[in-house]
Amino acid sequence: MRSPTASCLRGPALYSRRPSSAPLRLALQHRFKSSVDDPSTSQVPRDGTRARATPSHHSAQELEPSLGNSNLLKRTPEEALATKGLVFADGHGLKGPTGKGRETRQMNLHQAVRDAMRTALTSNPKSFIFGEDVKAHGVFRCTQGLAEEFGQKRVFNTPLTEQGIAGFGIGLASVGSTAIAEIQFGDYIFPAFDQLVNEAAKQHYASGGSYPLPGGSFTVRAPVMSVGHGGLYHSQSPEGFFLGAAGLKVAVVSTPIQAKGLLLAAIRDPTPTIIFEPKVLYRAAVEQVPVDDYTLPLGPTDEVRPGTDLTVVSYGTPLYTTLRAIELLSNPPPALVQFLPEKLRPPNPAPSIQLIDLRTINPLPIGEITEAVRKTGRLVIVHEAGKSGSVGNNLAGEVGRRAFDYLEAPIGLAAGWDVPVPLAYEKFYQPDVIRVFDKLVETLSY
Amino acid sequence: MIRRARVPRSFFASLSQRNLITGPPPDLPAVHHTTSTGSPLPTPTPLPHFTPHPSLNRLMLHSMDDPRTDRPRDPRQLVYVDESQADRAARAGRMSSPLRRGAHESWWNAEQGWFNAVAKTIPTYRVLDEEGRPVKGAKLPQLTKEEALKIYKVMALIPMVDNVLYQSQRQGRISFYMQCSGEEAAVVGSAAAMRSTDEVFGQYREQAALLYRGMSLSRMMGQCFGNIDDDSSKGRMMPVHYTAPDLGFHTITSPLATQLPQAAGAAYALKTDDARQGDCVICYFGDGAASEGDFHAALNMNAVLGGPLVWFCRNNGFAISTPVIDQYAGDGIASRGPAYGIDTIRVDGNDALAVLAATREARRRAVQGKKGVLVEAMTYRVGHHSTSDDSSAYRPIEEVKEWTVVDNPISRFRAWLVTQGWWSEEEDKAMAAANKKEVLKIFNKSEKLPKPKLGEMFNDVWAVPRDGALPEVIIEQRAELGHLLKKYGEAWEPWRKELKRFVEQGEDVMDCDSGASR
Ligand SMILES: Cc1ncc(C[n+]2csc(CCOP(=O)(O)OP(=O)(O)O)c2C)c(N)n1
Ligand SMILES: [Mg+2]
Repeated sequence: MRSPTASCLRGPALYSRRPSSAPLRLALQHRFKSSVDDPSTSQVPRDGTRARATPSHHSAQELEPSLGNSNLLKRTPEEALATKGLVFADGHGLKGPTGKGRETRQMNLHQAVRDAMRTALTSNPKSFIFGEDVKAHGVFRCTQGLAEEFGQKRVFNTPLTEQGIAGFGIGLASVGSTAIAEIQFGDYIFPAFDQLVNEAAKQHYASGGSYPLPGGSFTVRAPVMSVGHGGLYHSQSPEGFFLGAAGLKVAVVSTPIQAKGLLLAAIRDPTPTIIFEPKVLYRAAVEQVPVDDYTLPLGPTDEVRPGTDLTVVSYGTPLYTTLRAIELLSNPPPALVQFLPEKLRPPNPAPSIQLIDLRTINPLPIGEITEAVRKTGRLVIVHEAGKSGSVGNNLAGEVGRRAFDYLEAPIGLAAGWDVPVPLAYEKFYQPDVIRVFDKLVETLSY
Repeated sequence: MIRRARVPRSFFASLSQRNLITGPPPDLPAVHHTTSTGSPLPTPTPLPHFTPHPSLNRLMLHSMDDPRTDRPRDPRQLVYVDESQADRAARAGRMSSPLRRGAHESWWNAEQGWFNAVAKTIPTYRVLDEEGRPVKGAKLPQLTKEEALKIYKVMALIPMVDNVLYQSQRQGRISFYMQCSGEEAAVVGSAAAMRSTDEVFGQYREQAALLYRGMSLSRMMGQCFGNIDDDSSKGRMMPVHYTAPDLGFHTITSPLATQLPQAAGAAYALKTDDARQGDCVICYFGDGAASEGDFHAALNMNAVLGGPLVWFCRNNGFAISTPVIDQYAGDGIASRGPAYGIDTIRVDGNDALAVLAATREARRRAVQGKKGVLVEAMTYRVGHHSTSDDSSAYRPIEEVKEWTVVDNPISRFRAWLVTQGWWSEEEDKAMAAANKKEVLKIFNKSEKLPKPKLGEMFNDVWAVPRDGALPEVIIEQRAELGHLLKKYGEAWEPWRKELKRFVEQGEDVMDCDSGASR
């Protein structure tokens, strides 16, 4: 669905649609320019001098407000209950079993995760939650109070071994139990890599579809991405390593509503699933979350914002960054106007930008993104992980192949650099608001 | 169903004639698992006309006895199999019998000899009691006044450093910190037993060992601030992730237990390097890290392949919030040493002298036998796990207080120094005041220093020789950032602000048109 204003805001010259009858000529024109992300196309003065820049009248805080203020978050029960794809487990829909509607409560992301796990423990006596330090409350407080409420047989500390935790979970699921494992940090998931990629992902295939036994399910949760000062081992985005693991679903949540709905979907999905939770959002992201047992579908993407000139795809923390960049582009502060080509500057209408939350990264929802890009003709992907072996490159390759005739600009990728995440330099490692802004402008003005 | 091959009756008859430890029975059918012709072997195995060999009989009656000495064993006594790497190799040649294949020296036993520990309890070695008095029968390690004071001074300095850095994190001046509080004797005592040419692989709570080996405070604080003094990782790593190759101190990384197999590799290199005979590796790790697969892999590799190595476990009771009761069910970490055939000792980790003596002996055995030796130091993590942790959620504050008062490693060692006549209260007060001044001075200086050049973000990713070409991806991405900085570095306030913190304020990266500037 498009917002009513979106289409009338389009600048006719810049965004003229390619006539579908003559794709070939245009395709040829673009053939040699279509790189995923060619830095030489960035809008830099050719003489190499620094742009004469007007210092900003806005403070850094105003330009990059905290994530909690983002419009991604749903602040009213009505908005929360209108979330697309929401399915209540009791089957009574939005009216609820009493007919009086559904309740929501304000939660941050770790509370929403806890709420999902509490729901799972309540609804299924054969479910278990375990991992390092989960008994006390988990290092991000996702399991606060669960051991007291459900007993230490069902919510327990494990010895400190990620390969052990993953294998243990596979075993629990094998005989029909529901295993919900926590890997304390995504950065420490690698000891479990063998169990996850060689065992969990392949178990169903290798056993001719017979394992796990009915009812068995294995879900791994792990915090990922940066908090701004984590460095090499507390800021990584390891999702790219799992792209080749056919049989292992991987999703990244970006809001409390998703955290609960996708986690519950994963817990009830017989396919082993990793849910990555961006750790900076645990406390920063607060919204109204439905109190009852509900799921959101694993697989489909979520359109955060409709648009017709450019499709932007992201997931997790950078979704917030990207939305902020789009807002700046729609309503540029004085300091940024100078970087906009004439057509993107006020009083010309702001570009209409579609923002898609990818949510599931394995398997990649290639069809949906391709469809979107066929409509807008332009694609920018944003993630924190480095480019090599990334979601962005996989997506760009697949969508580029399928939507080649429709592309009006090279597919842009704003991502971390291909270096370990360096502590003191994190601000310049991340694709932050201005880097995303630049990539959007570059792709729109191509 | 697998049916057992019929064993000729003559075999059982021959058993009574045979010596206790022999090769395989000569007339045992070659194929064990056939879909057999005859009736299955009766189970359990009654042996008709069986007269036990006298020696066998004796062993069955006294299965706890040492089969080689015939002496009944004291159940409290620990077992020690005196074996070097060379003995191990020799053993390979004696593996003709099923008893010796894959075992030390076993014996046939008709009783089911179940066991789950190698000794009833593993004792904890100590030299000083909680008040710093030598315990009965203790042999004090040889120690000059100078050596003793060096140990004490580091033990007394580290809480000062920890305190200042810990508090500074609370105030948001550094990003993270981990204290060594409560474990000063374990870390410094062991560090003092090693030599300056030895290699150290740490976990992260061993900053005191680094200080003992001569790390300067400004280097240490430089690392914690990630400023231009940070020669450890040039601002790339979190605080306490030190590197000091000049002090033989290998890089601290956060993933747990990864240092253990690496230490085994380093020890093997020392063993095979003529120029490094007499050198040794020490590898520190926690009670939690010992649950990782890497721990088991490492001890086994070291035991099989050899190499002088002191495995030093700081058993401080916790892995973040996880108490040891949730971590292992066996007798601590020490009980695992014998499983790998590794000489092992458990020591009172709050007794600096005991740690020193035990680690010295461990080092001696390691170097002499070119093998691994395990030391488990029993101590207590007095501080929170890190600045991200609040331990009051999982342990009573009284417990912590008790440890600091009743069993304080620093005051214990100090009390002994005083009774030796080597240290006095006045000297202590003067030192504490001087330490405080020095630590704060360096802290304040360090805080004002800028971060390294922004371009350091892209350096050292690939180990490129001086004149070698950088990978394209680095050149390209560095240039991309350079272009962006030129464009927005002044206009975009969040960048303008952040760039000021770096030496050259990012100009080094903006110089990107020449391509690969390093
Ligand atoms: C592979 C891995 N898993 C988890 C963590 C998170 N973590 C950091 S320290 C720690 C506890 C370690 O406890 P222990 O080994 O006993 O050392 P201590 O902190 O007590 O000195 C955990 C779980 C990690 N750093 N690496
Ligand atoms: Mg510990």
